[in-house]
Amino acid sequence: MEQFDDNVYVIDLGEINTAPEIIFELSSVLDKDEAKNKRICLKLGNVDLNQAQLLSIKSLINSIDSTLSSIETKSVETEKTALSLGIIISNISEQNAVDISPTMTYKTAEELKEELQAQENNSAENENSYDIIEENETDVIEEVTNENIQNEVLKEVSSEAETQEENNDAGYDNNSNGQTFVPQPPSDNTDEVQDELDVIFGSSLTKNSFFDTEATKPLYEEKEELEDITVPEHEYTKEDIELETFPTKYIKQTIRSGQVINYEGNIVIIGDCHPGCEITALGDITVWGVLSGIAHAGAGGNQKARVRALKMNAIQLRIAGCYSRRPDSLNTVFIEKTNSFTPEEARIVNGEIVVFKIND
Amino acid sequence: MAGRVIVITSGKGGVGKTTTSANIGSALAKNGHSVVLVDTDIGLRNLDLLLGLENRIVYTLVDVVEERCKLKQALVKDKKNPNLCLLAAAQTRDKSSVSAEQLKKITEKLKKDFDYILVDCPAGIEQGFQTAIAGASEAIVVTTPEMSAVRDADRIIGLLEAAEGIESYKLLINRVRPNLIKANDMMSVDDVVNILSCQPIGIIPEDTGIITSTNRGEPIVNNEKSLAGKAYINVARRIVGEDVPFLDIDEPKDIIGKIKKFFGGLKKQGKE
Repeated sequence: MEQFDDNVYVIDLGEINTAPEIIFELSSVLDKDEAKNKRICLKLGNVDLNQAQLLSIKSLINSIDSTLSSIETKSVETEKTALSLGIIISNISEQNAVDISPTMTYKTAEELKEELQAQENNSAENENSYDIIEENETDVIEEVTNENIQNEVLKEVSSEAETQEENNDAGYDNNSNGQTFVPQPPSDNTDEVQDELDVIFGSSLTKNSFFDTEATKPLYEEKEELEDITVPEHEYTKEDIELETFPTKYIKQTIRSGQVINYEGNIVIIGDCHPGCEITALGDITVWGVLSGIAHAGAGGNQKARVRALKMNAIQLRIAGCYSRRPDSLNTVFIEKTNSFTPEEARIVNGEIVVFKIND
Repeated sequence: MAGRVIVITSGKGGVGKTTTSANIGSALAKNGHSVVLVDTDIGLRNLDLLLGLENRIVYTLVDVVEERCKLKQALVKDKKNPNLCLLAAAQTRDKSSVSAEQLKKITEKLKKDFDYILVDCPAGIEQGFQTAIAGASEAIVVTTPEMSAVRDADRIIGLLEAAEGIESYKLLINRVRPNLIKANDMMSVDDVVNILSCQPIGIIPEDTGIITSTNRGEPIVNNEKSLAGKAYINVARRIVGEDVPFLDIDEPKDIIGKIKKFFGGLKKQGKE
């Protein structure tokens, strides 16, 4: 990951060889604030991606208000699909990107403490953090990640009522020291790279020698179909579930009767969930609309999982092993889609599901 | 004593199969029989709504078939009547999830514990219909006094006669409007019976209370004032074997007054 200017963000996924892992990695990287509102250059390795997968990557990036500006790939298949979708193929020099794989490592609390101390010492010695990065880029990123995990662990200990942090993956706490994530561009070819990027992302697309295609418009608008939701092939350990280190899936559509959504992570639905739908997530479920179907959060046994909705009207709520149903007294045949919503949150209290008003 | 398996079918959609199932089931249970309602309309289930049990369904027919739960776990007890149970259909699957043999096995099991097993059949004559009638030995064909519904009922009766296992079938004429029949705007009950050459087990008048009861999730047989509710109770008694005369929806003046009140507006339109 390296930043060239304010608007460009390079993500290197060159060492990942399966499509689900790519989407998983990507979703964790995209959780960071730095990736938002950016044009993203994606570096891919030998992996073959089909249209649906590329589209889901694209929509993932779009969901955080960024755009996928170009792709670099070693696979001919991916190149073909990218061309058919109107995605730009580019060649970004390898030295400009950093492997992100260390961000996936998880450490025990004691190791974290030691490393945190070591890091504090380091930062005391070297005031300029950029120097460290130039010397040993991967190590720094690993340390930063660990610090973030540490932060989150501490937070959980200090205030259990904290709810907003749960949607963030452990490695990408918003409150982390953003400074270390903004290394200076390499000095030797700064101008050249800047020129390249100006050309890539500027208006003069056709003049660019880095492109194999002149296509600038997608052939058709990408729309996220329910079938396209990819579940990452990643086995979550108990530790993962406790730390709630899940990716988050954004779904921008109305979920209708009979539709089922399963995701190994958190689910955010921008839209209503009609009666008869079923939403199952390992982590939290957040509905930006009326939730009237069945929602099952913390399906992996996570007791801390929560269900939130602008209007809670769920036929049934399930969190981990608990189950609750809508009271019969509630006549909900005619859902009032009024302007005033009362956002509510369901969580487990003493082994029972309790719905709280979020304002309280 | 082994229970009786009765399938409620129609061919045409929207004639009142599910309403009939819910009401006959409730009426039978009210009279002290143990009843289980089996919804086979997988993917478009409604029976749970009519009974107001929507929020209690955890396991469904498909879960039982796929052995994710025991049959008894999937049976949802009615709110008011402990004699009445519901085996709901899955909303997130389709008709191919359950085969005829599998449903037959389930009805065989249910026979041991219940007096009546009412199977709510999906519309159409495809796989869903074939599945629903598989375990049944009796059938109730629901129709309305409209040509299209009668045609479809005729087709269904033909299929029921050809089907193995169905020993008897009866006709239930739903949504009858006596004043329209009087004005010769609607086929009469006798017309329907003549066309289908099949004996009716019940004649249910149109009742606006049905809409209210559906929305409230409470079968109309629980409303003692309702004419349609009374008619359904009579159907339940005839199923048990009692000889109950048909409710005369024309003769008594107080009732015709009620019906006039219901359909007065329509009659005026007809005259114009």
